[in-house]
Amino acid sequence: MNYTEKLNQLLKRVEKPGRYIGGEINSVKKNPADVDARFAFCFPDLYEIGMSYLGMQILYKTLNDREKIYCERVFAPGVDMEALMREENMPLMTLETKTPLGEMDFVGFTLQYEMSYTTVLNMMDLAQLPLKAADRAASEKEYPLVVAGGPCALNPEPLADFIDMFFIGDGEVVLPAVVELYGECRKKGMSREEFYREACKMDGVYIPSLYDVTYNEDGTIKELCKLYDWAPMPVRRAIIENIEELPFPTNPIVPFVEAVHDRSVVETFRGCTRGCRFCQAGMIYRPVRERSREKIMQLAMDNLHNTGNDELSLLSLSTSDYSQFEELCNELIPACKRENVSLSLPSLRIDKFAFDVLNKIQEYRKSGLTYAPEAGTQRLRDVINKGVTEADIYKSIEQALELGWTNIKLYFMIGLPTETDEDLDGIAEIARNIVDLNYKINGRKGGRFNVTVSVSNFVPKANTPFQWESQNTAEEFARKHNYLTDKLRMKHVTFNYHDNATSSFEAVFARGDRRCSELLLAAFRNGCKLDSWTEHFKPEGWEKAFADSRINRSFYTERKREFDEVLPWDIIDSGVSKKFLKLEAERAYNETTTHDCRHGCVGCGINRYVKCEMEGTL
Amino acid sequence: MNRYVLKFYKDGYVKYTSHLDLLRIFKRSFKKTGLALQYSQGFNPHPKMGFAQPLSLGYSSKCELIEFETAENHDPADILQKMKDVLPEGLEPVSCVRFESNIKSLAGEADSAEYVVWAPLPESAAADWNNDVLTGKISDYLAQTEITAMKRQKKTKKLAPVDIRKMIRGMQGMVVTDVEGRKALMLNLHLDCGSTSNLSPELVISTFLPFCSLDIERYDVEVERKTLKFVKNLQF
Repeated sequence: MNYTEKLNQLLKRVEKPGRYIGGEINSVKKNPADVDARFAFCFPDLYEIGMSYLGMQILYKTLNDREKIYCERVFAPGVDMEALMREENMPLMTLETKTPLGEMDFVGFTLQYEMSYTTVLNMMDLAQLPLKAADRAASEKEYPLVVAGGPCALNPEPLADFIDMFFIGDGEVVLPAVVELYGECRKKGMSREEFYREACKMDGVYIPSLYDVTYNEDGTIKELCKLYDWAPMPVRRAIIENIEELPFPTNPIVPFVEAVHDRSVVETFRGCTRGCRFCQAGMIYRPVRERSREKIMQLAMDNLHNTGNDELSLLSLSTSDYSQFEELCNELIPACKRENVSLSLPSLRIDKFAFDVLNKIQEYRKSGLTYAPEAGTQRLRDVINKGVTEADIYKSIEQALELGWTNIKLYFMIGLPTETDEDLDGIAEIARNIVDLNYKINGRKGGRFNVTVSVSNFVPKANTPFQWESQNTAEEFARKHNYLTDKLRMKHVTFNYHDNATSSFEAVFARGDRRCSELLLAAFRNGCKLDSWTEHFKPEGWEKAFADSRINRSFYTERKREFDEVLPWDIIDSGVSKKFLKLEAERAYNETTTHDCRHGCVGCGINRYVKCEMEGTL
Repeated sequence: MNRYVLKFYKDGYVKYTSHLDLLRIFKRSFKKTGLALQYSQGFNPHPKMGFAQPLSLGYSSKCELIEFETAENHDPADILQKMKDVLPEGLEPVSCVRFESNIKSLAGEADSAEYVVWAPLPESAAADWNNDVLTGKISDYLAQTEITAMKRQKKTKKLAPVDIRKMIRGMQGMVVTDVEGRKALMLNLHLDCGSTSNLSPELVISTFLPFCSLDIERYDVEVERKTLKFVKNLQF
C-alpha cells in the first residue's frame, strides 16, 4: 500500500481530516520534475494556527513566484494523527504533493515562539530525519538541508545543533536567492561546503557548523569563534530597505479548516519607532519601512477579490503609527462597507481619531477595547519606556464609556526590571479608577460592565535593552499572582494570568546557548510537544528534561548578566548596536525615557546599514 | 426572486472537509466570483444559501445540491461557469438551474437518498463470496422484523439502540473485483434521508457487515451518495 492510500485510511480515523489534505483555493500546483529545488515550509504547530500566519503566505508566494522553485506546506499533525502515523510508520509529508520530507531539498521551519521548539524536533522526527545536523552530515544518505528563520532566529543558538542554516531578518530576498543558489550548486556538482561558502556571503545567512563556542568555568561564554576564515562574523541581519515592491500575497491560500484568523491581511509597515525596552519586535524589525497608501489599498482589494474573505485586517506593530493612517482609514472604511467586509484594526493607539474610526467600524457590536499600559505606575512605565500616561488612559476610557463600550481589557506585565509591590498596587488602582469612572458616567446601576486585567510574566529577550536582566523565579511570579488576586477582588473586575512554567522555559530558550539543545532534546524525548497548548503541555516532561540534561535553569532565567559578558547571540548583528542597548538599560535604571525616533534619531545604530525613513518626521 | 440550485460532485481529498467548512468554501467562492448573494435582513445578516442535505465527513457524492439567492438576476449557465472557475479541485459543479418555487427550503423537502458502499473483503473470506451469497445475505438481513443499530444520541452523546429496518427502502449488492484482483462488496442502499426520517449509511454498514460475520475496518469502507430524492418530485 502506498502512502496516499494509507493517508486515505488515516484520514477516516482522525479529527478534522481537512487539516491534512491540501488542495485549498489558491494553493500552488507544480510538477516537481520541472523545478530545480523543492522547499517544504514547515510551521511547528497545527494547521489552524499556521494558516493564520502571514509570513508563511508571503514566503510561499515569494518562492513559488520563481519558476524553478516549488514551495509546499507542512504543519504539525494533531496528536491523534501523529499516533496513527507512528503506528503505520508513515513519514510526515507535504500537503501539496504528499511528498515525504526526506525527499525534499529544503525543510524550513519558521520560529515564531520559543515554545514551538519541541514541535520542530517532533516534526523532524516524524519526517524520519536524524535530529542533529552533524548526524545528518555524517550519514551516507543524503538528507534535505534543514533551515529555519523567523523572529526567534535572532537568538538561534538553542537550535544550532539541529539546524543546518538559519535565515536572520527579512526573508523575501535572501531565501529564494539561497534556494536558487542551492539548485545551481547541485547542477554544477559542488559540495555542501562550497555551497555554504557562497551562501554565507549573503546578509542573514547563519550556518552554525561554521562556528564554535568555548565556555568559562562559571558557565558563561568565553569566546565565539569561526572555524573557517571565510565565515562572516558577526552575521548581519538581512534588511530590505524598501518593502513597497516586495512580493505580497494578494491570492493567499484560503484554508479548508477554519483558521484562528480567517481573514485577508495586509502588512502596512515593518518596524516600530516607539522603543519600548522590553519589546523584541520593536528592536529586531527596525527601521520602520512603510508601504504606500495606494499600494495598501490595491493589495487589500485584490486580496479580498481573490479570496472571497469577509474580513480584512491591517498588520503592523502599531497600526495607528502609519504615517497616513487617517487618510488610509477614510479610504478603507467605505471600501469595506461597499464590499460587505468587516475591518479589524488591531493594536490601535487610542486617541480621538481612533475613536471615530472604531465607532464607524463597530457600529452595532462594540467588541471591547484593549489597552496595554504594561505597568501599573508611571515610574515603571518610564523604566520600560512605554510612553503612556495615566491621564491618557483615563481620558480615552472615559470617552469609550461615553460611547457605549462596556468591556475594557487591560494588559500588564509583571516581573519587569526594578518592579516593586507598589507597581502591582498601581495595577489594582488603575482597575479601580476605571470602575469608578464607569459609575461616574453610567451611574451605580449602569448595567453590564467589565474590566479584564490580564498579566503576563516578563520574559527578557535577546537583542533588547533588557537582555541582561534577571527573570523572576516561578515562586516570585506565583506570589505576585496571589498578591494581585487579592488586590483585584473587586466588583466588575476579572483577573487573568498566565502559567508560570511556560514563561520560565520560554526564558531559557529566549537567551539560551548551544548547550540548551540537550535540554530541548531531552524534553522532546520525554514526550514534550505542542507546548503552547495547555492540553498538551507536559511540565513534568520539562522538569525531567532539566535533570536529564543537567541544565541549570536559574543560570539562564534568574541570573543577571554583566554588560561585558559574551552573549550567545553576539554572533548575530541585529542592526541595533549593543552600545545603544546598554545606554537604554542604563536609562531604564535612571527612570529616564527615550523619545519616539520620529521626533529625531535616538542613535540605535540601524542607520549605519540602511536609511531610516521615519527619522525625525514628527 | 433570483433563486438557483447548483449541483456538484464531491470527490477526492476534499471529501474530508466537513459540512461547516464546505459552507465557508462556498461562501468564499461566491464572493470570489463576484456573484453577490442576497443577504438576510436583520441584526446579523448572512447570505441566503444552504445545502439540500449535509453529507457525512469522508463521503464522496455525485448529487450535492446547494440552493442560493443572488441579489441580481443571472444566467444559470454563467453562474455554473463562474463556480467551475473558482471551486477547488474535487468540488465539481455539474449543473445550475433557476429554482422558482414557493417551498421554504430544499432541506425541508428531502425524502430519501441512494448510496453506494464499497467494502473490501478480507483475503481470508474472499473465496466464500459471490453474487448469490451476497443476494441471499441481503434478503435474510432485510427479512428481519427489526434491525437494531446503536446510534449516538445528539444531546446525551450516548449510544442507544434504534430500529432501522423501516428506514431501509431498498438494498442490493454485488461482489466486484478491482484491477489488482481484490474482491469487494458493492452495496446499493436506498435510505430515508430528510427532516422527518433519516438513516445514515453508517448504521447499515455497522449492522450488515457483522450480520455477514465480516470483520472489515470502517476506514477501509468507502461511501458515495448517488442521488437525493424529494417529496414533491423535484429533480436536479
